[in-house]
Amino acid sequence: MDKFIELGQDMAALWLQYWDRYLVGIRSTLILAVVATLIGCVIGLVCGILNTIPYSKNDSLPKRFVLKLIRVIVRIYVEVFRGTPMVLQAVFIYYGLPYFTNQQIMFRGNSGLWLAAIIVVSINTGAYMAESVRGGIISIDPGQTEGAKAIGMTHVQTMTSVILPQAFRNILPQIGNNFIINIKDTSVMFIIGFIEFFGQHRNIVGNNNMYFQSAAIEMIGYLTMTLIASFLLRRLEKWLDGNSSYELVQDDALTLSAGTYTHPGKGTPFDERSPEGALTQEQRERKHQELKHGRSRGER
Amino acid sequence: MSETILEVRHLSKSFGDHEVLKDIDFTVCKGDVTSIIGASGSGKSTLLRCINLLETPSSGQILFHGQDVTGKGVNPSQYRSKVGMVFQSFNLFNNMTVLENCMVGQVKVLKKSKTEARENAMKYLEQVGMTPYIKAKPRQISGGQKQRVAIARALAMEPEVLLFDEPTSALDPEMVGEVLSVMRDLAQNGMTMLVVTHEMAFARDVSSQVVFMSDGVICEQGDPRQVFSNPQQQRTREFLSRFMAH
Repeated sequence: MDKFIELGQDMAALWLQYWDRYLVGIRSTLILAVVATLIGCVIGLVCGILNTIPYSKNDSLPKRFVLKLIRVIVRIYVEVFRGTPMVLQAVFIYYGLPYFTNQQIMFRGNSGLWLAAIIVVSINTGAYMAESVRGGIISIDPGQTEGAKAIGMTHVQTMTSVILPQAFRNILPQIGNNFIINIKDTSVMFIIGFIEFFGQHRNIVGNNNMYFQSAAIEMIGYLTMTLIASFLLRRLEKWLDGNSSYELVQDDALTLSAGTYTHPGKGTPFDERSPEGALTQEQRERKHQELKHGRSRGER
Repeated sequence: MSETILEVRHLSKSFGDHEVLKDIDFTVCKGDVTSIIGASGSGKSTLLRCINLLETPSSGQILFHGQDVTGKGVNPSQYRSKVGMVFQSFNLFNNMTVLENCMVGQVKVLKKSKTEARENAMKYLEQVGMTPYIKAKPRQISGGQKQRVAIARALAMEPEVLLFDEPTSALDPEMVGEVLSVMRDLAQNGMTMLVVTHEMAFARDVSSQVVFMSDGVICEQGDPRQVFSNPQQQRTREFLSRFMAH
């Protein structure tokens, strides 16, 4: 028990002394994770879409060749970047690019560091997302594609109007997954000297040897970030799913209740004697909402 | 003799070594209601899917107003927008409401304005009795209702022919009636229809032409009264007696 109290005191002391540096680190971590996840999603989306363009034996040879080539290239990209550690990818890109281009391409200064870090994490995320997007697209019932084709939609129209909106909902948990992984895994960017939350920790303990105490602060910090992220992602999913109920558009019910709208003060339209007694509980609830908010729930 | 819309000429389709359709020939005229009947696996659905180019025929021709749509230089999307299709599994777009389902094709394919598409969609949704549900998503309505919406979606494109691929086979018995009555109304209004069905009463009473398929070939075709009351082929007789016994 004493140990915990001691640890707590040390952590408090560390935090009081260095809180601004920890916060700067958290800011860098979050910016890098958000930006790289977004760019990674775009890369993944493009790869996933290119990868699922259908072709048949009847298509012309150049078309089939190009589509096959695209699939091979995407495949290689995915396998290489999914199959190697991000730490090493960072080294290869940060040091490797200047080496191979005879210092033509260099990541100079702080902005160079940011650029390199964003590139590495984005490409890495993109490799994972490419597979998720492909999975999301092929998981949509082929009947959806057939339904769209049957009314004359082209492949592009089918994708944008029917398949991708549904696929996006299905891969959203995967995007969240990648975001949370990125919050944590951006810590390996210390290898190229990018100072984020974990990098700050390394700098701080370099001065005072309070390695374990600072690590405890890091743990709490990372866990807080990921918990908030997963909470927000859940909220986003719920919001996208929308209302589970829908509104019946029934002329009769509206006519019946039309006259009662103007007198909400004189008793409610839902009294036993009102002609709306015929409405179901659910419809009544809806009318209540309409009176309160001036519009129906279904129309959000 | 009214105008010929669709002609199927020597159509064959194989999946690998398996020949599903062999040398199919028939003609659909404007206003015809053609019922395609036959046992499961006899190639009825494949035939319909070939007509809509959802499957590519292995050989033969499909002439739409005299033009071969299987050839190169034909835009399948453009052709499909004139040939509606109603599926056994409805295939409504799950990410859209009932109304949006009926509007999206008009807006994206026919390039109509949203207002115009909406009005048109409402017209056909009313015809199938689904106007109260325009704000519902497909997962919130019953099978029979879904199929009625699917019919309205196809009608909203104002196709010249409407193909039905076993439209009632995935429905509970009590929902079959509501879909069939919508189809009856369509037939009476002169819609050209091609219906793959197991509803023999519908085939007998509503259609103007019956095609009986067996093992990938057209075994018998002709006037429904004649095919049902006096089938010429042994296989037709066997099939019908099995069905009518139920």
